[in-house]
Amino acid sequence: MKHGPFESDLASEHLNFYYGNKQALKDVSLNVEKNKITALIGPSGCGKTTFLRCFNRMHDLYKGNRYEGRILFKGKNILEKGTDLAALRGQIGMVFQKPTPFPMSVFDNVAYGLRLKGIQNKQELADRVEAALKKAALWEEVETRLNGSAMGLSGGQQQRLSIARTLAPEPDVVLFDEPTSALDPISTAKIEDLMRELRGQMTMIIVTHNMQQAARISDWTVFMYMGELIETGKTDKIFTAPSVKMTEEYITGQFG
Amino acid sequence: MNGRLYEKIKELFSGFAGKNNYRMRRKIKGRLMFFLSFLAAFVGVTCLFSILYSLIKTGLAGMSLALFTDDAAPPWLENEGGMRHAFIGQLILTGVGSLIGIPVGVLGGVYLAEYGNRSRFGKIVSGLADVSVSVPTIIVGTFVYSFLVQPFGGFNGWAGAIALAIIILPLVMRTTEDALRLIPWTMREAAFALGAPYYKVINDVVLKSAFSAVFTGVSLAVSRIAGETAPLLFTSFNNNYLSADMSAPMPSLTVTVFQYAGSPYEKWVLSAWASALVMTVFILLLNVILKRMMKRRKFS
Repeated sequence: MKHGPFESDLASEHLNFYYGNKQALKDVSLNVEKNKITALIGPSGCGKTTFLRCFNRMHDLYKGNRYEGRILFKGKNILEKGTDLAALRGQIGMVFQKPTPFPMSVFDNVAYGLRLKGIQNKQELADRVEAALKKAALWEEVETRLNGSAMGLSGGQQQRLSIARTLAPEPDVVLFDEPTSALDPISTAKIEDLMRELRGQMTMIIVTHNMQQAARISDWTVFMYMGELIETGKTDKIFTAPSVKMTEEYITGQFG
Repeated sequence: MNGRLYEKIKELFSGFAGKNNYRMRRKIKGRLMFFLSFLAAFVGVTCLFSILYSLIKTGLAGMSLALFTDDAAPPWLENEGGMRHAFIGQLILTGVGSLIGIPVGVLGGVYLAEYGNRSRFGKIVSGLADVSVSVPTIIVGTFVYSFLVQPFGGFNGWAGAIALAIIILPLVMRTTEDALRLIPWTMREAAFALGAPYYKVINDVVLKSAFSAVFTGVSLAVSRIAGETAPLLFTSFNNNYLSADMSAPMPSLTVTVFQYAGSPYEKWVLSAWASALVMTVFILLLNVILKRMMKRRKFS
């Protein structure tokens, strides 16, 4: 295990992952720097989304999936049996590729994770919903329609709503699974801006197919190929002087 | 079509169109196809409209305020008697049947779509529910007769309501299952990712998203049992008095219409027509409204 010269409370160690008999991740070890943005890049099917979904144990929803190795979060192996998944997912949030507004009001959407944590106090709920919507740069657009249905928002607004909903319980880590691939350029820019704003407040891992996006927003870039971690480094270095040939070929668009 | 007939038609066609004039032959075949299919559709629609026509014509003749305000009266009393008892009885039977069948059906549908969607048991139940949707309803009636009528020594309202519940159950279960399956998995994942337990995911996200679809499906199922006669014949039977006692025979509109229509009294026959009209209009309206609603709903 390789410790980087930085603060980290999330790391995978020799992680293998299997969909049934098919191995999707091979011996992946990664230290994630705290309160920074780490981008996972690589061609389709390289395992980056699979890797991302290990951190909140999303794979547990489906039968036949199997982990090997360890994922350490705040010093505890979260792959261990008996891990409280609800509590884990309260600390490690996730934003999906497509916006997923629940069929309820804007307010109730954002309050959903808070209520799951047992927060009932109306004032506290209202304050935290407002704070989350402000963090997600959506507050001004929905301030007057908090009780309206979330289904009435535009695609970009719905995605920022999903982000606000993820941020409301104040997670330590947020996983982004291609959060802008279904959005127009303006909405994409807004989401990149808000990710930059949040840097320093929480650890973020983003899976992206868009290399410019990785270069624009991330501190660290991880290149994966065929379920293996090929190269990890500071984003500037990966995009200007990668040490592995394959990384260079991928970044310059020679394959993938 | 048998071979000889086909040969004859072919001969007929080749008679006036030249042997190589396949375009003309195709044109004629095309016209023929259009004409035959139009004719078939016309026959179907004509049947439906003639039923409606005679229903409206004769039904309106028997229509009166007394039909809704009075209970059954002996046929020799002119201008007296109505079907109030039967309307109310039908509502009670349909209502109680729905109250039993719908919750069980919706819960069963939740099981099939959420918990049992990959298990063999779930698949078998779902398949069986499909089959039982098309079981003749009189069989359900005789089945209920054997365990809720015979052992208790008499027809009773409970038996009728339960027969209706058994009919509505698989309908509700399958429509619920289908409606829930249409909700994309990412919706569920998003709720799981916030730390929600499965039952909350189902309650807060899946059922809420599918609400309008489940609601319309359930309502169409109710409109189906509202017009049932066969399952009531052996169960709640019928009577001529206003009654809310579920442990005794209960009046129902459909069975009353069946008996009145076959009676020798002109007045009763007219009452039967009028009631049939009321019921048809009711179910027709319900269907039209619900189908409208179904078209308008959109999935997220």
